[in-house]
Order: sequence, then C-alpha cells, then structure tokens
Amino acid sequence: MSDNYDVIVIGAGHNGLVCANILAKKNRKVLICEARENCGGLLEESITNFVPQIPLSVSSSLGGLPVKYKAKSSIALSESGQHIRLVGNQHIDHKVISGFSSKDADRYVEFHDKMSSFSKALGSFMMASPPRIMNNTFSDYFKLFKLGMNVRMLGKKKFNEFARMIGLNIADELEDNFENTLLQGLIAHDAVLGSNLGPRSPGSLINLLFRMATHDNSIFGGIYEIDGGSKAFVDTLLDISNKNKVEIKTSSSVKRCITENDKAVGVELHNGEKIYAKKIISNADPRSTYFSLLGTENLDTDVKRRIKHHRSKGKVAKLSLSLNKQPEFINCDKDDLESRMVIAPSIDYIEEAFNPSKFDKLSMEPILEMKLKNSDQSNPALDIQVQYASYGAQEGWGNIKDNYVDAVIKLIEKYAPDIQSCIETKAIVTPDDIEKNFHVTGGHWHHGEIQIDQLFMLRPIPGASQYRTHLDGLYMCGAGTHPGGGLTGIPGRNAAQAILEDA
Amino acid sequence: MNRDLRFTALKKTPFHSRTSLASRTNKYYNWNGFTVPTEYSTTELEYTAARNGTSVMDLTPMCKYMIYGSDANRFVDYLVTRDLSQMEDNTVAYIIWCNEDGKVMDDGTIFKFSNTKFMLCCAVKIYNWLHDSAEGFDVSCEDATDTTAALAIQGPTSCSTLKNYGADDLELLKPFGMKQYNINGYDVLISRTGFTGDLGYELWTDPANAENMWDSIMEAGKELKIRPFGMHALEMTRIEAGFIQTNTDFMAAEDSLRPVRMRSPYEIGMGWLVHLNKESYFVGKRALKKEKETGNSERCLVGLDIDGDKPAVGSVIYNEKKEDIGIVTAAMWSPTMKRNVALASLKRPYGIKIKENIFAEIYHPEELEYKKIWAKCKVVKRQFFSPERRNKVPADLYE
Repeated sequence: MSDNYDVIVIGAGHNGLVCANILAKKNRKVLICEARENCGGLLEESITNFVPQIPLSVSSSLGGLPVKYKAKSSIALSESGQHIRLVGNQHIDHKVISGFSSKDADRYVEFHDKMSSFSKALGSFMMASPPRIMNNTFSDYFKLFKLGMNVRMLGKKKFNEFARMIGLNIADELEDNFENTLLQGLIAHDAVLGSNLGPRSPGSLINLLFRMATHDNSIFGGIYEIDGGSKAFVDTLLDISNKNKVEIKTSSSVKRCITENDKAVGVELHNGEKIYAKKIISNADPRSTYFSLLGTENLDTDVKRRIKHHRSKGKVAKLSLSLNKQPEFINCDKDDLESRMVIAPSIDYIEEAFNPSKFDKLSMEPILEMKLKNSDQSNPALDIQVQYASYGAQEGWGNIKDNYVDAVIKLIEKYAPDIQSCIETKAIVTPDDIEKNFHVTGGHWHHGEIQIDQLFMLRPIPGASQYRTHLDGLYMCGAGTHPGGGLTGIPGRNAAQAILEDA
Repeated sequence: MNRDLRFTALKKTPFHSRTSLASRTNKYYNWNGFTVPTEYSTTELEYTAARNGTSVMDLTPMCKYMIYGSDANRFVDYLVTRDLSQMEDNTVAYIIWCNEDGKVMDDGTIFKFSNTKFMLCCAVKIYNWLHDSAEGFDVSCEDATDTTAALAIQGPTSCSTLKNYGADDLELLKPFGMKQYNINGYDVLISRTGFTGDLGYELWTDPANAENMWDSIMEAGKELKIRPFGMHALEMTRIEAGFIQTNTDFMAAEDSLRPVRMRSPYEIGMGWLVHLNKESYFVGKRALKKEKETGNSERCLVGLDIDGDKPAVGSVIYNEKKEDIGIVTAAMWSPTMKRNVALASLKRPYGIKIKENIFAEIYHPEELEYKKIWAKCKVVKRQFFSPERRNKVPADLYE
C-alpha cells in the first residue's frame, strides 16, 4: 500500500478548503473529495446572507484572502413604518434609538458595552483549539485557567454579571433593559438566529455572545455581505487552492474511511475507488463523520450515545424570490433597502413563532431576515432566511412547501404591499433539502446547535473536541467543531494546526 | 399500571412454590428483584452436597437476554472483548465486556444457538447497553429474564441425576457445550456450565415447566444425595473455584461512583479474555490496547493462601513495612482443600512481581470480642479447587 497523498479532505466546504490550503502551504500533498459537482458546500447557494468577516488569523495563514466585504446596517421593520435602523456606531445608534426612547438609547450603549466586554473575554478562546479536559495535560488545564482568568479580570462585578448571564435567556435581559419592543425583537432575533431556541429559552443569551465573539465583538457592527456574493468567496478559495496545488475531485462521494490496525489510512468512494493518505480530514458534520465514515461498528457504545444525542436539527430555510421590479417597502429609503431587513417585531412575536417548532411543526408567521439584491438593476431579487422552518416538519415539507412559501410572502406583504406583483419565481431550500443536497445531518447551519452542552471542549462531543476523532488519523474540520459555523474558517484553520502538531 | 412501588412485593421465581417448601430457615434475599433463599437448611450441609452429591439452585433471577438478527454474531463479537468470530453453534463461552475506557462492566456467559441467535446471561442489568450498542447492527435484543426459568444442577453426581431425569447421553456433553432436550413433553436446554468449579449443568426452560422440572429432578436424584442449595453455599463454592463476582471482587464500571474504583480486565485477572488481535473493533479496544502497551494497569486480583484457619474476610493486606497494599474481596476456610483461602485486589507490583512477605490483618470475631491476627499470605493461583472430574468427557456416572 502506498500513500498517494499526505492528506485527504472529505468535503470542499469553506472550512475544508481553508484547511486543505493551509496544509498545502506547508508542503503537504492534499486531495479534496467533494460529493457534489461544485465546491463551496453550504456557501454555494448562499444559504446564509450575512456573514462575519474572515478573521485576520485565518486569512494570514492562507497568505491573504482577497475578499471584499461590505458592512451592512440592520433595520428592524415595523408594520407601522416606525423602523429602527442600527449601523453599529454607538453615537449614531444612540441618536436613532433616542427617537423612540431616550432611556433605551442610554441603556443600549451600556448593554452593548457589557456584551462586548464579555465577548472579548471569550475572544481569544474562540480562535484557538479548545482544551481537552479528558486529556489531563498541563497545557489543556492552562487554557481553561486562562479563560477563567480572562473572565475574572473583568472585575468582580462583571464576573458576577457574567456568571449570572451564562444560562440566562435573552428575553429577560432585554426586558430588564429596554421598553421598545421592536428593539427587543431585533436583538432577540440575532440571539436565536440559526438555533433551536426561542428568546425565552435558557441559553439564548450565550448564543448571542458567541455570535458577537465572531462578529467583531459587536451586535450590529459585525454584519457583512461578501462583495460579489458567496460565489466570489468560493472562487477566491479555489484560486488559492489552484495556486497551492490542492487537487480537488468533485462528484466523488466518500463511502467510508478505510482503516488498518485501527488507524485511518484512506477513503473508499461510492464508485469503489480507493485512495490512500497519511491523514484523513472530514469536513462533514459529526454524525456523518462518525456513523458513515468511521462506521458504527468501529465506535464504542458511549461514543455512539454521544453522537446520537448530538443536537443538529436545522431550523432555517432559505427562500429566494426573483423579482421583475423593486418592491416598495413602507417608509424605507434607499439606505434602508440596502440594509439587512429583519421582521421580528417583538420578543413575543418570536416566541409565538418558536412555539410550534418545539413540536416540529411550522409557524405560518415565522421570523425573517431579508436581503435585497441587485436593487439598482432590472432583475432584483429578495433572499430571505426563514427561521423556525423546522427540519422534519410534522406537516411534511412535501405537502406544505407551497402553502408555507405563500404564508411567508403574505407576511412580507404587510411591509411591502406590492411584493406579490413583483415576484417572477420563488424557490425555497428547507433544512430537509439542505440535508439531502448538501449531506448535512439535520440541515443545520452550524452542523450542530451552538449550545452550552455543545460548546468549547464539548464540541462536537466530549473526547473529540480538538479536531481529532476517536480514530487515529481521522480529523474533523467542519462547523461541527469549535467554534462552530458562520463562515469564519476558524474550524478549518484550527484543524490544520492540529494536524501539523501531530505530524 | 400501578406505579407505587412501596407496596410491590419482590417477584417470585417459577420455582418459588418448591423452594419455599424446601426452606427450613425462611432466609431469603433480594436477587435482581426476585426473592430467593440464601440458605435452605445449613450452608455447610448444602456446600457438602455440592461437593459430594448433587446440588440444585434456582438461577432464574440471572439477567438473560436474547439476541436475534442477521448481524447477531458480529454484534456479540463487537460487544465483548473475547474473539467470538469462530465460536461454534451450541456452545457457551465465558465473557466480559467493557465500556469505552476499557473498564469491566460485568462478566457472563454467552450461548450460541446459531449465527443469528444468542443468549447472554449476566449479573447486572444491561438491556439499555445492549440496545445502544446495537446501533448500526441488524439485531434485536430481548430481555428474557422473566420468561426463562433456570436451574443449576451441580456436583459430582449431577450428570447421573440428570440422566435419571431423562437427559440421555448427557455424559458425552463437553464442558461449555449445550444440547436441546425434550423431557417429560417439554423443551429443556442443558448446558455444561456452572459457578461451582465442579462437574455441573444449567437447565433452561419455559417457566410453565418449572415445577415439573424441579419435582422430576429431585426424584431423579433421590439416591444421589441431591439437595437444594442457596446463595451462601454458592458463594463458598465459587471462591474455591476462583470465580469472580461483579460488585464483590470488583465494581461494575457503570455502578461505581468513583472512577478510580473501575477496573480493567488486566486488573481483575481477566486479561486472557481480551483479544486485542481480534480483527474487528470491540467496545473498549482502543483503551485496552493503550493500557496493554503502556502497561499502566494499577491493580491485580490474585488468590491468597493464608496462614492459620481464620478466614480473612474484609482484611486489609500489608507489605512487610506495614504499608497498605490491597484488600481481600472474598475469603473462606475451604473445607475441601483444608486451606485458608482468599481473593484479594492488590496494588501492583504486589501480586505480580512481589509475591512474598505479604500479610493480612484478620479480625476474627469470638463471641462479641475480636481477635486480631497478623497472618502471612502467599500469592497463589486463583483457582483453588479444580478437580479432574470437572472437565472429564464422558462425565463420571454413579448408580
């Protein structure tokens, strides 16, 4: 048996590409096997509209990443036309909120500062590989100690506040601070986005902190749109791959990992082809990695249990409307339309939308995050994130898809009365579709809930948190690993570092 | 269903009408939710029957699980540390199984009917474990504890007793073999297995046949010194045989609150049951391989031959510097061997490299006073009693 490659990466999602390129730059011979015809994974069809900027540490380890971002402001739409638009600049935002409530405006600045200091304390922890407590090594304990110190160094008062907030729900915190329900709705929306939580679910606050930690430590300042769309991003990564001589095999779905003496030594494709390498890296979600690639017969019972209990039910659908003209949103100017538009008018509204999803049912009044594309051209389009579009909905996505799309459009109609007449075509990608088309279990954005039981050294499962799986030679680099999804490339970079450490 | 368990009686085994008649002492205990006698007459008498005649014990409370399915063989091989891939039909194997850390969860016996049907017998309930382990295998597991009546027939005359009962050619059955019989019009599975370290058999049948089976066997053994025996006598015989008992000689991994109390197979003398060169993976293999390679096993379970005649029950074991090096998990004065024996869990290298100058501190009760004895011990093979007749084929027969 000969090692044809140093490394095989399974899946050409952005994390897989980042990981492959960092390794290739270190003179590793890398092959990427991608099941789909195209690379980019969930990026490919712009599953997400708004993203954080790629951290400097990631782009520098790639030798620079020529991707341009456009900063976006956020607008909370109100049926009455009294929208709130926030840009991420405290002075401007204070002024905007003062127009509604001067008390809220002051509180907003305080809240923003407090949350930012917490997310900064988490910050360095977010970029590096998490400690593995089962290892009992000094460096792992030191990392944990450092995180504890980071938080403790905030001062006693803030430390207590941090401890109070860790398990808190976002609704309580917002209601304690603000009286404007639209503002509450906007922040609560960002806290629950992409998760399986409502604003009143415990743990929804840490979800927001986590999001902030990857979004410039800012609630509304870290939202960007990639110039040229996610296609430009994928193309850039492919260019770099080309330069680094990373081989990419598309339409090559991996069936399983080949093992020898309980060590991963290669992959077998569905067409029967076998390719060997020294190290195998999976960009797939944890469940697929463990149950399909590694195989249930190679796992300890306890590991099977943990993977089975891994929570990864997707809750976000993507609705794309192509339009023949730009719809008129009530009381919105050009800048407003350029913004990230959010329909989540209050905490109670979001909670109502969340309620059916607890029972795997669909709410006909979901929460929406919208992006108007090509607004100045003749073929504008509206991309919509629909939250609480449950994976495996009881109603059956096959039966209800059209009704659901109509319900969403009807909802938008309240804010843009002429939307119906503008629509040319409509296409929806449900979590079930994501699972089927992109091979992501549960169709979850982050390959698994961002929740306290699946964070840091518990992500994706205890014992596999440092990008290494239970099988020697098999690694993970996807969003299912620390720190999670969100188009940061951090999991990919950290995984590459773990592999280089082991070599 | 009435969920108030405060007034729910312990279950009675299908033999209860017979065991309760045989009981002269009215001493019972709770074994896995069933009420069964600890002693029928006197433990010494029952022990003597087991070593010289035939002893009968109600085994029904043992956990019994059926495993069916096209992957059944592959599944049991995955579940346990022993290589069962070449196991023959109609045989039984002694097994242990571990968790992911390579710590022993329990020991037991596995009965193979065919590649698609097995029965697992053990002390600790593991239905959930079986169910969760089965993920990815085409198998179904079924708890057969309440639906199978089991009787242990042990002792030198046990084969003759069972032949009288109707088990033709039973003497030809090899140790760890099993055979399906039809006796008195019902099916009985007879396996040459047991927990006494002597010639002996275990019988498995539908609970409906239990009373007839008990009565017929008692009748068949009338001239062969047959006697029911309880848990206390069994405890004596199993110590002599050097058999370990879960939660007595070691803590089951899932039952121990303190991680340091969990034991790997190498630490309880079960290393011979771990087949690391088994081709397929089994639960705990990675951890066990690491332990074997690094040799960082901390304890060992050994047999002790102790000076004097006072059983070292619960004794702490010391080296010559009076440093605590372990504890006795089971001890007795062996009437058959005329030796003072014990099983002890020692901290390595004691018991492995250092076998001399080991002492037991024995507190011997003498009518409300304790006599403290400092007794010298010798590390010996755990199997204190293993007569030739145990494995003889054909088995000894008596008139």
